[in-house]
Amino acid sequence: MKRGSKLADWGNSLLFLGPTTLFFAMTVIIPFLYGIYLTLFKMDNPTDPMVFSGIYNYLNAMDDKDFWESLWLTLKFVFATVFFVNMVGFGLAYLVTSGMKIQNSLRTAYFTPNLIGGLLLGYIWQFIFVQSLPAIGGKMGIRWLELGWLGDPDMAFWALVIVTIWQTSGYMMIIFIAGLISIPKDLIEASTIDGAGPLRRLFNVTLPLMVPSFVVTVFLSLKNAFMVYDLNFALTKGGPFDSTKMVSMHVVNKAFVESNYGTGQAEAIILFVIVAVVTGFQVYSSKKMEVEA
Amino acid sequence: MAKRKIMTSIFTYVIAIIALICFIFPFYLLIINSFKSNGEILVSPFSLPTSWDFSQFADVIEKMNFAVTFKNTFLITTISTILIVFFSAMSAYHLVRKPSKYNKIFFTILVASMVIPFQSLMIPLMHIYGAKLQVIDVIPIPLLIAFYIGFGSALSIFMFHGFIKSIPLEIEEAARIDGCSTLQTFFLIVLPMLKPITVTIAILNVLWIWNDYLLPSLVLNNENVYTMPVQMKVFNGTYMNNWELLIPAILMTIVPILIMYMIGQKQIIKGVMQGSIK
Amino acid sequence: MGIKGFMKKSAAIGVAAALTLSLAACSGKSSNESTGSKDGKVNIIVTNAKGEIDAQFKQAAKDFMKANPEVKIEVNSTAVGDTLNVFDKLTSSGKTVTLAMFEPYAALHKYKDVGIDLSDKKWNEETDVALKNADGKVVGFPFAVEGMGLVYNQQVVEKAVGGNFDPFSINTRDKFKDLLDKIKASGVEYPVAYQTEAWSVGNHYSSLFLNQSENPTTLADQLAAGKEDLAKNDVWNGYYDTMELLASKEYNKFGDRPIGQYYDAAHVAVGKGESAILFNGNWAFDSLKALEGSKFGFMPVPVDNNADNELNNKIAAGPTQVFVINKKASKEQQEAAEKFLEWLVYDEAGQDFVVNKAQIISAFKNNPNKVTNPLGVAIGNAIEKGKTMPFTTNYINASEWSTTVGPEVQKFIAKESKRADLAKFVEENFKKQK
Repeated sequence: MKRGSKLADWGNSLLFLGPTTLFFAMTVIIPFLYGIYLTLFKMDNPTDPMVFSGIYNYLNAMDDKDFWESLWLTLKFVFATVFFVNMVGFGLAYLVTSGMKIQNSLRTAYFTPNLIGGLLLGYIWQFIFVQSLPAIGGKMGIRWLELGWLGDPDMAFWALVIVTIWQTSGYMMIIFIAGLISIPKDLIEASTIDGAGPLRRLFNVTLPLMVPSFVVTVFLSLKNAFMVYDLNFALTKGGPFDSTKMVSMHVVNKAFVESNYGTGQAEAIILFVIVAVVTGFQVYSSKKMEVEA
Repeated sequence: MAKRKIMTSIFTYVIAIIALICFIFPFYLLIINSFKSNGEILVSPFSLPTSWDFSQFADVIEKMNFAVTFKNTFLITTISTILIVFFSAMSAYHLVRKPSKYNKIFFTILVASMVIPFQSLMIPLMHIYGAKLQVIDVIPIPLLIAFYIGFGSALSIFMFHGFIKSIPLEIEEAARIDGCSTLQTFFLIVLPMLKPITVTIAILNVLWIWNDYLLPSLVLNNENVYTMPVQMKVFNGTYMNNWELLIPAILMTIVPILIMYMIGQKQIIKGVMQGSIK
Repeated sequence: MGIKGFMKKSAAIGVAAALTLSLAACSGKSSNESTGSKDGKVNIIVTNAKGEIDAQFKQAAKDFMKANPEVKIEVNSTAVGDTLNVFDKLTSSGKTVTLAMFEPYAALHKYKDVGIDLSDKKWNEETDVALKNADGKVVGFPFAVEGMGLVYNQQVVEKAVGGNFDPFSINTRDKFKDLLDKIKASGVEYPVAYQTEAWSVGNHYSSLFLNQSENPTTLADQLAAGKEDLAKNDVWNGYYDTMELLASKEYNKFGDRPIGQYYDAAHVAVGKGESAILFNGNWAFDSLKALEGSKFGFMPVPVDNNADNELNNKIAAGPTQVFVINKKASKEQQEAAEKFLEWLVYDEAGQDFVVNKAQIISAFKNNPNKVTNPLGVAIGNAIEKGKTMPFTTNYINASEWSTTVGPEVQKFIAKESKRADLAKFVEENFKKQK
């Protein structure tokens, strides 16, 4: 009897986890392990013959000052974006579930920045930062606005932050909407009857029930910020003079542009470990806050 | 009291409209610039076009190989999304309800896998599925779908995970007593209760796969199997893009998703309404 | 009710799975056609590094196949911004690219082991710019000739000088400065719109100094051996004196903040005549033609005040893309690729494709066609008059310079670093260049 149920357990596991495991292993796990294996070889280009070199690539990566600098810059970018993306995203979701008449149209409108890929986005925003804002600055006599944003290291950095918030908060909004809508109405009503004001209701009832959404959105915004590449490439190309070169761009340049494939691949693995530790900590600590029914 | 309520509601509308303008203007730019020549786009991107001329769209449809690339993109996106959603919902359910040591490790690996830089997997994927197994040209579309399931399931499982946790166990136990198997319990009881998040996850997957360039550009080597984003590279130049064709092409690519999104949002609301009637 | 719903859902999964399988079956069929040579056709893969002519290239391949039904060409074009270039991608996935389009430097270095010797090919008679390796063997078929220099808006400049303008009359830096002042006096506040993309100020502008030696390779080799002190090199310094003029607050539209994604803005400004001059190559025309009817030309980049200095009188131009035939391709494939190259040189349809359709300046003397794009015309005229010198970007590792030297030059332009720092950096970069 016990044996039979164990067998059934195995069967169930296979049924429920089998397909995912299979596809996950073939696309992510095996190539990833193979990718680590590749870092043990000296290859200038991905098409080169593989020459075993031990930890040479990792030593190179450790020595690569630019890599660590770009990682530090990326960390600043993470700090600057994660908070705002989540705040704006939640704010939008709250707005469009608050029962306004036009909320369906608003949902669609707020979502549109996600649809437009990096290339065109880079162009539109380049035009705004390089031409439109300076023109406005010139007309209104605002000194610091008169010059193009993308030529100043600090302003170019904030340009990236602004576009990131603008582009991804709609995405987070969708996840928050799903969470907000799943909150049982009776809980909200009960608290209203109890005399809780809108603000208290938000903090005491809504937010605690939104933890599953926040686990996902904080994780996603962390991950997106650490891995940012498309926007970086389309908007600033790392400039002016490498001052906004984020770590992904550094790794891609190293591996595929500057003919240091092995080192670039090793840096990608190091990047993975660092980001995995950071996000792992976030997920582990916030998963504990999830309410289990 | 009533006055205050009206004030807050006006205030909410003002904020909503300001946000609306900020968020929708690129879409507006996309539409007005679809009707302009390269010169007009570069010189005055914000002004209305001099004429609403649809002839560029015909050119785009031809150069995009629209009938073929739309079909490919549609097939790849729908099949991948359906499979991702079902497989991940099942896996997430299992991981929540059977929190054994192995399952916890598996979940951790899944979450960690999402932060693997994609660039570090490009060459391994090429080596394994191209050079070693040589399947890239034999079954490009099924292979791409398999890749999407592999890359997409981690995030979807992760999102389902938190939401499944909040479903009361008692309901399932009741079903179990009625004689439902685990699989039946899952499909009949659990999945319907997950409708808002399921539709959301489906939307996010469609959005990603529909617009994805990097993965299909690696796997698809033949024009007959290209997706729309891959085909769109015909409008890119080394130094300057062919905006007058690229912009209408982008517009045509994203309209289907916008429609899908609007239908999806309706479904989410409908799902919730049904739930509350019960 | 429940079981029915469940059946419906499992049916959906079943259908999806079946679809996947049937897809596998049908795409399997189609690829058998394209890979196998069972139908007696020779299949070759050709890579095209000029993404902007993708459509024309594919049409040319079709035309060629119509005339040569025994060959089947598959064209793969590079897309701009691709992380992995198309040759590396195809090679990593185990395919053999028969005919690959490379930049000359890459063909001689990164891909030096790819190509076969093309020295005995007939088309060598029709060109002087076939790519040769250090042993003097021809390894690259010159596909596209391009040039770079100071692009000017003809209407604006002619208005400023009051009459016809000969670009080669500007052959000292003082004459150039004088021209800028004249343009300013004619009412154009900023005569220069200097676009400072890393690849432009790095790969293009910052390699020009190599032309001071008869063969740019000589100087590049000396630099690689660490035997050249750039800070003391007059020509090298001269080019940066001119650059400072171009980027200065006095003349440059973006002078207050000279770095910052100005590519489109600069070209629109010169195209519309709000400014008159920028530094770029003949490809700039696509961005300049914002306004119909404007005319453009090239003038040399002045390096000093010696009117007899060749560098002040010539425009850098040369083949920027070459075809290499892959050693690893089969004999039949190599022959098919050679046939295609001959078609480009000798067949009327091939000649028409290169020049008329793709607007590329042909490297072959027997091609009777002329490009119509005004910047291309200017380069073509300079070639005819013997007023060109080597395209120096071909002698540096261009793809790498855009991410290493380029940003460093930008720093110099933004006055974030000194010229001596730049000299050191460039010297070091030559030493470790691959």
